[in-house]
Amino acid sequence: MPLLEVDSVTAGYGDTEILRGLSMVVHENEIVSIIGPNGAGKSTLMKTVFGLLHPRQGSITFNGKDISRTAPYDIVLQGMCYVPQVANVFTTLTVEENLQMGAFPLGKADLSESKDRVYAMFPKLRQRRRQLAGKMSGGERQQVAMGSALMLNPRLLLLDEPTAALSPKLVDEIFERIASIRNTGIAILMVEQNARQSLMMADRGYVLANGENRHEGTGREMLDNPEVGRLYLGG
Amino acid sequence: MDPAHLVKAFFLMLPTFLLGCLLFGRWRWPLRLPAAVLFGILVPLAVAAFIPGVMDYLVSFCTMASIYAVLSLGLNAQWGYNGHLNFGVAAFFGMGMFTMALFVSTAPTGPLALYAQQLFGLNAPFLVGLVAAAVMAGVLGYLVAQPILHLRIDFLAIATLGIAEIVRLIFQNERWLANGPQPFSGIPQPLSCVFKAPRCGWLPDWFLDATAVLQPRDYAYLYLVIVVIALAIIYAMLEAMVRSPWGRALRAVRDEESSAAMSGKHVKSLRVQSFVLGCVIMGIAGGLYAPFMVTIDYSHLNPLFSTFLVWVMLMLGGSGNNKGAILGAFVIWAVWSGTGYVTSGLESALSNIAPDIARRMSFLRWAFVGLLLAAIVLYRPQGLLPEKKRVSRFLRGVPEN
Amino acid sequence: MADSTMTMTDGDAASETGSGAEVAARSSDGVRSPRFVGGVLLLVLVAMWVAGWFSGTTAEEMLSLTVWGVMLGGIIALGGIGLTLCYGVLKFPNFAHGEFLTLGAYITYGSILVLPQTNPIWRFSFGWELLLGMVLAIIITAVVAIVLDKLLYRRLRMHGSPLVLLAMASLGMEFLLRGIVYLIWGSNYHFYYSGRANPAMDFPFGVRVQADQLFVFALAFILVVALYWMLTRTRMGKAMRATADNPDLAQVRGINTERVIAWTWAIGAGLAAVGGVMYGLASQMRPDMGFLLLLPLFAAVIMGGIGSAWGALVGAIIIGVAMQLTSAFLNPTYGPAVAFTLMVLVLLMRPQGLFAQN
Repeated sequence: MPLLEVDSVTAGYGDTEILRGLSMVVHENEIVSIIGPNGAGKSTLMKTVFGLLHPRQGSITFNGKDISRTAPYDIVLQGMCYVPQVANVFTTLTVEENLQMGAFPLGKADLSESKDRVYAMFPKLRQRRRQLAGKMSGGERQQVAMGSALMLNPRLLLLDEPTAALSPKLVDEIFERIASIRNTGIAILMVEQNARQSLMMADRGYVLANGENRHEGTGREMLDNPEVGRLYLGG
Repeated sequence: MDPAHLVKAFFLMLPTFLLGCLLFGRWRWPLRLPAAVLFGILVPLAVAAFIPGVMDYLVSFCTMASIYAVLSLGLNAQWGYNGHLNFGVAAFFGMGMFTMALFVSTAPTGPLALYAQQLFGLNAPFLVGLVAAAVMAGVLGYLVAQPILHLRIDFLAIATLGIAEIVRLIFQNERWLANGPQPFSGIPQPLSCVFKAPRCGWLPDWFLDATAVLQPRDYAYLYLVIVVIALAIIYAMLEAMVRSPWGRALRAVRDEESSAAMSGKHVKSLRVQSFVLGCVIMGIAGGLYAPFMVTIDYSHLNPLFSTFLVWVMLMLGGSGNNKGAILGAFVIWAVWSGTGYVTSGLESALSNIAPDIARRMSFLRWAFVGLLLAAIVLYRPQGLLPEKKRVSRFLRGVPEN
Repeated sequence: MADSTMTMTDGDAASETGSGAEVAARSSDGVRSPRFVGGVLLLVLVAMWVAGWFSGTTAEEMLSLTVWGVMLGGIIALGGIGLTLCYGVLKFPNFAHGEFLTLGAYITYGSILVLPQTNPIWRFSFGWELLLGMVLAIIITAVVAIVLDKLLYRRLRMHGSPLVLLAMASLGMEFLLRGIVYLIWGSNYHFYYSGRANPAMDFPFGVRVQADQLFVFALAFILVVALYWMLTRTRMGKAMRATADNPDLAQVRGINTERVIAWTWAIGAGLAAVGGVMYGLASQMRPDMGFLLLLPLFAAVIMGGIGSAWGALVGAIIIGVAMQLTSAFLNPTYGPAVAFTLMVLVLLMRPQGLFAQN
């Protein structure tokens, strides 16, 4: 049974429809990458899965439960965490406080355990724990954002363009981290502009265009697909 | 029909005609004009024939509502056109009010000067006073706009609230200015000689005979005509400005359309212009208010009546819409007056059972207005007459409203 | 919200977006540092002292006025910390906040009329029944705030209504609550303990302060510290700051923002209720006290920086002192006008206020 199942979902804002009858799955412990042109609905898909937007048609099932109408703070409790693309840290809170907020439902004992776990993954954050998140560099902020999302040890992590606006060296670092996160048993669904690299490390991929599923397959398959390569990977 | 009622009906014809022009706004002029004329003739006659008792009350109601309508139009020029949240309407209303008072009255001399002080009294004609009121309110608006107009919208609201308070305090405390805190009385009313002795020399005899059946207090009918004419002129002017390139530029700035590719300086001056325009109109409202009241003082600048009630009017009528502003003014003033009747009724009903509570019934009125405002915000925030997307008639070929 | 590292940001503004480019401090663009603004304010206060001096007020009197101004600041601070909390989290100016003060004062008054009178505590003018009544007032006012939120503001939030509509709604609530207060208690002014002596205590330099005034200021200070502690050390407090910082992200992180908002209303209204009681004690109870204090409250909060507990206190003290010093050279009713002018001055130099984060 897949961990996350999106079934023929139609969603949008106001009168417009952005996602049209979209379906996709994510299995335990795998990395799924979603690529596609701007405006295809990648961010909308993320928001709909996470309950920031309600699907008009179709359903979203997580761990066997229908979460189409669940509020985000409940979805977090079910084991899915989300890292938005922008505004993904509390700029007026310190690094440590950001992490604490990531684990808001936890009690004191679990909280320190989670903190240790996340600091182990992101050692630089431990050094800077008392710094205001707003004053950190882009790459460090991304670490805070991801670390906060990992505090509750989710089963599925949603990443919205994790490498946006980062230098190539940082991009590699982030992808390495994503791989190591997956290796701890967490499934990852990510939306990426950096299509080629993300497909290289993904187990499976989907191409989203005009709110619909255009191609799907394993990462390797997608990379080898000449049509995908021509349209979305820059040849 | 009582001849007095007939004569009164004649005074009501011009205002009713103008109302007709407004109501039949959808129709083109060849149809609109005769319809409005017919409306203007028949309706007052009908009222005089069938319900003459309400005429006097109707006049005072409509005069006050029209003054509020002018205030709403001014506020709409600021809020509807440009998104300025002005909680200091009272400041500009008051500025206009007291300027008019100072210009048209005569400074007391001799022993009277001990009791009533004022800065000056030019004994100027009504129109001069009105222009002065508009100018002074505009100047105040311009001075105020410079430091605060660029502030965040909620800070602008609080800042304008403060400015209104300062203006009110000045008129309250500075005796030499306008006799504050004592009332400033004896404001002459324009053309009062038409009704009150000594009668104007230039009035023809047939007029004097016709109006012989009227009382001096029926001057209110003439004043209504004056106020409604002012309202009509302001409305027509604003409507013309809305359709003009200036108006379109304003809307583009407000809606932050990228097609408003204008320099920052130009944007700023447009915003100041619309703000000052609103202040000028509010000043005119004040100028109309002073002779109507004959006696004014700082308490007329109470923010509840001079600012917030106007906001309720605009919210109800429809912000961004001049017709809505006028409609909102009349509806809310009717609601306010109506609640007055209800609470007096409650007061007399309860006066034997619980005299303490009975005396406080009038405070229910503001509570009711508060609930009404909350309801408007919840259920119909765009107001009764929402703003239509205005497109230049050259682009669409749509007939002018 | 209150800066947990206790530094005053120096006109630096870090970008709120996640993109890496804008980490470096945004240059001033006309925004002055808190030190500069503080200096200007100090200059203004000194100028007021000089103006008072030239109007014939003695140095002793000026000192007394300053001290009373600080005490008045305490009262304003009590209302202000509640307002800054709500304003920071809910993001709109609550024009009905003054009515929480009024409600608090009058409910306490009503309780005193019913409860048995006890002897005044120490040199204060009030007995235990006032404190008991105040506790009741806090609870009731907090409940009223939460109910108003659930019925009105929450619905507007769900619609995604813009700030203006929320402000308008709060205006409507101002009329409603005020009408209710007038209806229940009438339009007369009252004292909590009429006819009770309230002697002042003597301090050096001819300054005389009532024990009540000291109590109010001490209470204000304690509550500011308590609020600051709550915001920086407790889970709910941090959640409030997080919600104020970025409500969408707070939801994403699993914070139940509706619950946070309910707590914000409760605490904000409760603090306001205390403020109202203290105002009634120090001055007198009038049904329009909420409306009267609205401008000084907003001035203090905006000056201090929305969302900052310490900012509210400092802002309130500046406002209080300015209002009192005004009476040395101007008609005392101009007090609020002077306070407001100071607020505009600060807004022009540093729109985010003295203690702001961004």
